[in-house]
Amino acid sequence: MSAVHAVSDLVLTNGRIYTVDPARSSAEALAVRNGRIIAVGTDADVRPHIGPETRVVDLGGRLAMPGIVDIHTHMMMGGQAELFELRFGNTLRREAILDQVRAAAETTPEGKWIIGAQWGSDLLALFNSEESLALLDAASLGRPVMLRDDTYHNRWVNTAALRLAGITEDTPDPDQGSFGRDPSSGRLTGIMIEAAAGLIERTIVASGHYTEDMDRAAVAHSIATLNQHGVTAFLDAAAMQPVLAALKGLDDRGLLTAWASGAMPVTEPSFLFGVAGEELFALRDTFRSRHVRPDFTKIFLDGVPGARTAAFHEPYTPDAVFGCCFRGTTLATVPELVRWIGRCEDLGLSVKIHCAGDAAVTMALDALDVVRSFNGPTRLTHHIAHASYIRDADIPRFRELGMGADLSPFIWFPTAFLEGHKQTMGVERATRFWPNRDLLDAGALMAGGSDWPVIPNPNPWTGIEGLVTRQNPHGDFPGESLWPEQALDIATVLEIFTINSARMMGLGDVVGSLEIGKSADIIVLDQDVLTCPAGAIGKTRVLQTWFEGRLVHGTEALA
Amino acid sequence: MTGAAPLPLTVLTGFLGAGKTTLLNRLLRQPALDGTLAIINEFGAIGLDHLLVETSEERFALLDNGCICCTVRDDLVTTLTGILARRDKGELASVTRILIETTGLADPVPVLHTLLVAPALSGRLAVEGVVTAVDAVNGLATLNAHPEAVKQVGLAERIVITKTDLASDAELERLRIALGLINPAARVLEADMGHVAAARLIGTGFDPDALGRAAVDWFASATAPAGFVCSDPQAGDPGHVHGPGCGHHLPAGVVRTGHAGIETHAFVIDQPLSSPAFFRWLEYLTLLKGESLLRMKGLVELDDDRDRPLLVQGVQHVLHPPVRLPAWPDQTRGTRLVFIVRGIPRDVIERTLARFADVDAAAIKNPARGAMAASGNMAA
Ligand SMILES: [Zn+2]
Ligand SMILES: [Zn+2]
Ligand SMILES: [Zn+2]
Repeated sequence: MSAVHAVSDLVLTNGRIYTVDPARSSAEALAVRNGRIIAVGTDADVRPHIGPETRVVDLGGRLAMPGIVDIHTHMMMGGQAELFELRFGNTLRREAILDQVRAAAETTPEGKWIIGAQWGSDLLALFNSEESLALLDAASLGRPVMLRDDTYHNRWVNTAALRLAGITEDTPDPDQGSFGRDPSSGRLTGIMIEAAAGLIERTIVASGHYTEDMDRAAVAHSIATLNQHGVTAFLDAAAMQPVLAALKGLDDRGLLTAWASGAMPVTEPSFLFGVAGEELFALRDTFRSRHVRPDFTKIFLDGVPGARTAAFHEPYTPDAVFGCCFRGTTLATVPELVRWIGRCEDLGLSVKIHCAGDAAVTMALDALDVVRSFNGPTRLTHHIAHASYIRDADIPRFRELGMGADLSPFIWFPTAFLEGHKQTMGVERATRFWPNRDLLDAGALMAGGSDWPVIPNPNPWTGIEGLVTRQNPHGDFPGESLWPEQALDIATVLEIFTINSARMMGLGDVVGSLEIGKSADIIVLDQDVLTCPAGAIGKTRVLQTWFEGRLVHGTEALA
Repeated sequence: MTGAAPLPLTVLTGFLGAGKTTLLNRLLRQPALDGTLAIINEFGAIGLDHLLVETSEERFALLDNGCICCTVRDDLVTTLTGILARRDKGELASVTRILIETTGLADPVPVLHTLLVAPALSGRLAVEGVVTAVDAVNGLATLNAHPEAVKQVGLAERIVITKTDLASDAELERLRIALGLINPAARVLEADMGHVAAARLIGTGFDPDALGRAAVDWFASATAPAGFVCSDPQAGDPGHVHGPGCGHHLPAGVVRTGHAGIETHAFVIDQPLSSPAFFRWLEYLTLLKGESLLRMKGLVELDDDRDRPLLVQGVQHVLHPPVRLPAWPDQTRGTRLVFIVRGIPRDVIERTLARFADVDAAAIKNPARGAMAASGNMAA
């Protein structure tokens, strides 16, 4: 072939390059110019693009693939948690958590807050007692303490925190939230359910605890963390103004090393504060930049199953507070959802709807059905976030209505979350969780997300393993599987975490596969995840992460 | 105190230069409009010698749904609640009707929205409709240049063509065709030297029988091609009945912004409707298509009371409180609906009615098609 070959900036050679193109084809080499892929093929195909200035990286036969696209993260919280907060896993029990609080209190100046996460929601009943509150008060040495649960919907705080928030025994429960009370004495326990959590968070924000420097540092830290795990694009699932401002600020300085999309809440969520809805949408173009696309909105339609705040068709197990027949409630009606989805479509915004219970899923699909019937087809893809408890009849509707399934967080296997659900829903219903195989067979568009820091580590490889094995990749709950019939094969799962997530982010033409013209977002792995034992996928290490042909994680020389 | 009968209210709007002030001045002198309180923007510019004039400076506020067409006239709430309060105290006893004048090219919708959504006004005023003044000389050019003008025509119950003495017959004919294409339901009147009989412009208040008859008239005009027979000698086929796709002898802009942009869809439904299902559908329609839904009116046969039809009216996102009529206003029974829309295809209304209002698709008929054909035959 005598064609003129453009000289590239970067060539990766001698690899096993899994392109995730529609044919699932493999290549040996790939050339990059100005951040875009200009050639993919055999070493011989790509060699003519090598010039004197070209960086040539020998992959040594390793697997390279497109960067991971995380469809559901919380960048500010993720970074804040890692940089500024106490972190513990949701399998930690009460005494161990209290030990951590005491250790933090000893080094925290008086009057400063101690913030931590995340206790397992299965501890809710234990913490909801005067006895536990007294232990927390003792451990905190007078400092105000707020500890988030593993759903991020609820909090456990101490007496000093209640005092700063102005909450007394006589304070009435807030709308769409409640204060935990000891079942025997009726007195406050420091448990803050849903909107009640907001009263504490608001108090912390008002105290000036978080600064703009902290915001930017937190988001930058989060992005670096994602890059380490091979993530090169993400959608922040509750992008308030500080998140968008930090992303834009980083991109303006050339420091944003991933494609970013943000879902702007239509109303102020219970755990985040500031302008939301129309006021926030109106600002979106001021945050738009080359890599920042504030093209989503977020609706919280229900809560979480462990706290009985998710909306289900069937009742929760009987309980002293909610009685025999409580099904949870939704935070909006079908017409309200219809109005929001219609309004967002008018603005060119896709909607991500948090639906943890199957009744919330039905309602979101019903609303989208109405919108599609009146508005006809759209290029936008709306999401159901945490598409996990789904009535059989609703499964085909995802494809019919073009509703994307946001599979997040990484809990497609036995976890402490599931133990909490078993308590509130009974074992049989609780374990009909994540019908991923059914969704796949029904042609639904599924995308992978971490929901970090709801999941304390955004490492997608544990999630990817779990989608394949339905067993806990960390070794917890050994021998147990969650609904194993719903397992997926690794090639499908890699698509879910790359091209599918890219499509659901509206970036299907830019990222998600290694094809000519697309962004050179490439990761190099220490093992071949397509052929290694499924139980080893979670241990995958990302040796290099390239974002637009720039090395943003790892070293150029591969050991 | 809200026991008193609602006060009839008319909105007078009109193109720039349409002679709205002259029209208003002459209208208010007619005995038929004794007791009319006029609300205008400013005294100086108008110079009315009428006794009952209030000024109200246009001040807009957005409804909290973020929709740009859902603006309300904040000032009117204050002005009108003030008037109603004085009336409750026995002042302004002679006031029997209110007329609100808007500035030229103003969107009449914020006024209508205000009257419908302000809680302080609900049930106290009977909105009779919109009267739009159109100038015979510049009317077509204004329709071409200003989408707001097309909207004013689309929303009108009655249209007054002013300055007819200054326009040629051919010009007048083209204007009439354009107005008919945009809003076939409106009654078009011509002002003779600035004069038009007030009785023909205003409604009959809140009398349910009259409201029913008015709705029937509106439906009849919307579906009958009468008055649409082309008398333009320039047209290739003089005497043809105008229909969709017509407007061949109008200036290009009118075809684009008027005829092709604004359409009237009429439906009859041969099946009693369930009230919750019908209103659920109507809510979805106004939520999703409100911006494109200039006007809707309907006489609805509900399955819970088939002898007393429900009169339903809406403007963009907002529905008037429905009125239960004591009886069917004419011999015809059955649901009749008319929609004046900008860019809502007929089949969207039809399909969604069947789907969300639980109507058998076969029961939904298009009366216009039959009426057109019948009238076409008569012409031939
Ligand atoms: Zn989330
Ligand atoms: Zn509107
Ligand atoms: Zn014609």
